[in-house]
Amino acid sequence: MKHLTLLLAIALTFLPGSLHASVDDAHSFAMEAATPFVSEGFIVREDYWNGEVKSGQKLMVKHQLFKGNEYAFWLGTANEDCKLEIEVLDEKGNKIHITPKIGIGPTFTSVRVNPPKTGTYSVVFSVTSKTEKGVFWALAYGYR
Amino acid sequence: MPSLSLLRLPGLLSLVSLFAVSLHGQGTTEGVVEVTSAKNFPGYVVDDVVVPVPSEIFSVLDKLGEPNWRQELRGVDTADTTDRTRLSLIFGSVVAEGFVAVQAQDKKAVEDIGREVIDLSKSLGIHKSVLPHAQSILDAADRSDWPAIRKEFDLTQKTVRDTMEKMKDNDLAQCVSVGGWLRGTAAVTSVVTKNFSADRAELLQQPMLVNHFVGSIEKMSGSIRKHELVKAVAEGLKSIQAIMEKSGEGFTSEGVGSIGKTCKGLLDQIDGKTNE
Repeated sequence: MKHLTLLLAIALTFLPGSLHASVDDAHSFAMEAATPFVSEGFIVREDYWNGEVKSGQKLMVKHQLFKGNEYAFWLGTANEDCKLEIEVLDEKGNKIHITPKIGIGPTFTSVRVNPPKTGTYSVVFSVTSKTEKGVFWALAYGYR
Repeated sequence: MPSLSLLRLPGLLSLVSLFAVSLHGQGTTEGVVEVTSAKNFPGYVVDDVVVPVPSEIFSVLDKLGEPNWRQELRGVDTADTTDRTRLSLIFGSVVAEGFVAVQAQDKKAVEDIGREVIDLSKSLGIHKSVLPHAQSILDAADRSDWPAIRKEFDLTQKTVRDTMEKMKDNDLAQCVSVGGWLRGTAAVTSVVTKNFSADRAELLQQPMLVNHFVGSIEKMSGSIRKHELVKAVAEGLKSIQAIMEKSGEGFTSEGVGSIGKTCKGLLDQIDGKTNE
């Protein structure tokens, strides 16, 4: 029991940091996806969504887009050997995104959107790992 | 608080991991987000809403014409107060004013706003986290580096909200967001009213954001929800909500004017320029 308590104490001391790094890593990879877009004039927002989720679980973010801007969404994960999927849907469920040739990598992916009108859109995404039950993710966006 | 139901890990690791997850959950953008089931969607909806910065709308207005952004500057002559709810609303509006100043490329205004950001953060007791951003704003203003200033205003707002959430002041963090949205929307309505077109007016089609703010205020603790200013903001937002609902096929210039008047009236109250 004493050993278990000690193990727990050690784990609590060190593990939070490493897991925190994993969430931050997911955002770092999303920012890696954003890098080529920045050189195309995209402004990266500092706010983003992130978290931890069951591998393969679909998540949806509702977001306000403005007609006249072009948007890019960047999805990153801290886990290796993952399949990343992302799409942007209008209010009727029609896909409105374009998959770019840039910002795609083993731990990140990107989509571009030219919203046909100003309003609320759904960003649907998933991260599926071949080895892990849970995955860390981050979703960021930019506009120009 | 974060929902941990999505991921379950076995044994001791589970205990440790869940503890770790709750440690890095810091509200809107850090850690695990709240999720709820959604109709017609085989997954989960992330409850967090990322509110667009005013620059996102300003950039479209720039593409549709050449607004005189200097004319839209309101200045930062704010009330001398220790009321944290009012200070939070003011903080949001001052940062949004910063985005207007960037659009106007007005160095003096940016410097004034940078200094006001420092003063407000001191009054709110969060200056340690805000000071580096405010200093970066002043440094970038010195170089007239407008993209860097815009980035720092975005970072400042995020840092303030994150810091407030760490201090369990989530309601005040929402006040920062609402204050920013009111100031940004006031500027947009002013530009649109001066040169009305359907394309420009369509930028005000933001019912999700207004619903989000109304819902956030309804969830606030009693003391903040019953604050005179927050009550006024809630009423104002509901009137804006009604105009947006009526304007599905497009805004009239009167509708835009009415939204602008509501935002301006609320900002005057927040700044202490009118009786509440």
